[in-house]
Amino acid sequence: MSSPVLQFRPELSQPLIQEVMDRSGQNLLACYQCRRCAAGCPVGEETGLTPDRLIRMIIFGEKEEALNNLLVWKCVACYTCGTRCPNNIQTARINETLKQISKEAHIEPLLPKVSTFHDAFLRSTSHFGRVNELEFIGLYEMQNAKKELKHGGGWKTVVAEMKNQAKLGISMMKKKRIHFRLDKIKRLSEIKRLYKKARDKAGG
Amino acid sequence: MQIAYYPGCTLHASSELYDIQCKKVLKHLGIELKEIEDWNCCGATSASKTDNFLAVALPARNLGIADASGLSEMLIPCSSCYNRTLVSQKILSEDTELKNKINAELSKKVQGKIRISSILDILVSKANSGEIAEKSIKKLEGLKPACYYGCLLTRFPHDIKISDNIENPQGMETVCKALGAEPLDWSYKTDCCGASATVNDTDTALFLMSQIIKDALARGANCFVTTCPMCQMNMDMYQDQVSERYGIQKKFPVFFITELLGIAMGFTPQEMQIDRHFVDSLGLLKELKLYE
Repeated sequence: MSSPVLQFRPELSQPLIQEVMDRSGQNLLACYQCRRCAAGCPVGEETGLTPDRLIRMIIFGEKEEALNNLLVWKCVACYTCGTRCPNNIQTARINETLKQISKEAHIEPLLPKVSTFHDAFLRSTSHFGRVNELEFIGLYEMQNAKKELKHGGGWKTVVAEMKNQAKLGISMMKKKRIHFRLDKIKRLSEIKRLYKKARDKAGG
Repeated sequence: MQIAYYPGCTLHASSELYDIQCKKVLKHLGIELKEIEDWNCCGATSASKTDNFLAVALPARNLGIADASGLSEMLIPCSSCYNRTLVSQKILSEDTELKNKINAELSKKVQGKIRISSILDILVSKANSGEIAEKSIKKLEGLKPACYYGCLLTRFPHDIKISDNIENPQGMETVCKALGAEPLDWSYKTDCCGASATVNDTDTALFLMSQIIKDALARGANCFVTTCPMCQMNMDMYQDQVSERYGIQKKFPVFFITELLGIAMGFTPQEMQIDRHFVDSLGLLKELKLYE
């Protein structure tokens, strides 16, 4: 945790704790820092931050850090932390909530590819009711390339990424594991209505 | 016996082989899979990372369709679909307001009747009843699988009880033993392969997979067996990259549990579509004289 000095500022803490608890459905205050979650976290070593630390961050109202850390973006949603927590706190759902807050506030995520991926997945679902892998990966790579050109590594990174995907694509084709027929549901209007409800809810 | 069946998007695309295998093997065990009509994507873990409402609502539509099918049980072979659908069902059973809000948009409403089964729920009961051994004409002698469960078959982001042990599940081992294979005891059976990180955070995923493969190697396994299409795809398609980066010499076929059943029942690897794996898997079967 890179926080300089621990300071308790209720005006920062309270709204953040409340928002995260409400949206994730998790009682963060039940955490007594036993660190079983930390011991089981497969990415903890790499991120340098474990679920217990993240909970402390939120309790101290450090919003910016809670949204911009490697754990939130590298969490693989394996649910080991939540399964082992003696107080039934599902930290993965806290991570999900922080991702959502970050998205709604239009904060560029620490790992932009992660949010681009999940957005593309949901967009693909909204188009046909089912995910068509080619369309989905196409949406993802296009969005990704746009971001790279704007903020990141430029053309070189984009070309390297495309090359890598093309290589995987070819090996998938050889094994007949690419599906070219479009999979579409009949009552797509129901899916559209559910998406609309989700948008209305987020807006209001 | 007929049961409802939700294949999910992956089983209609890159893991179509798993769809074919499930139908074939279960038919041989006397179960006919009735694919539910007009099913949609469950939203996988992407929905829960993006929108709480859609994460429940997308699987809910499928639950409504399944409830209207008149069948009492539904098989969901994909771990991610299985996980998200069970979670949705549980949340809706606890939150009537949300259920009504979602049902208002659906032509087939969620009633909460359908019992959701994983492929292991079905296969373990068939192993325990002796039906698997009875239908097998080959013993899978010499096959030493590391049974790989991954995350979503046993762990849920919600309070959901399953019949197997969460930290050390045994269902796949039970099935493998019924087939005459020798599943190994190992430490990484419920560790994460990285899931979608293979695409959006590749280094992390390759590292996670390297640990899983190294442990299987140390235990003397000669293959992996899994029930999850995401685990199968990752461990199979990315194995070359993992091995190269982490200096692992041995290659491990990554079988679906249905493939082992198929081989034991006398289907050819081609009928089971095992030739669609990335890591050569026919070599091991030949070596063990399970295929000429």
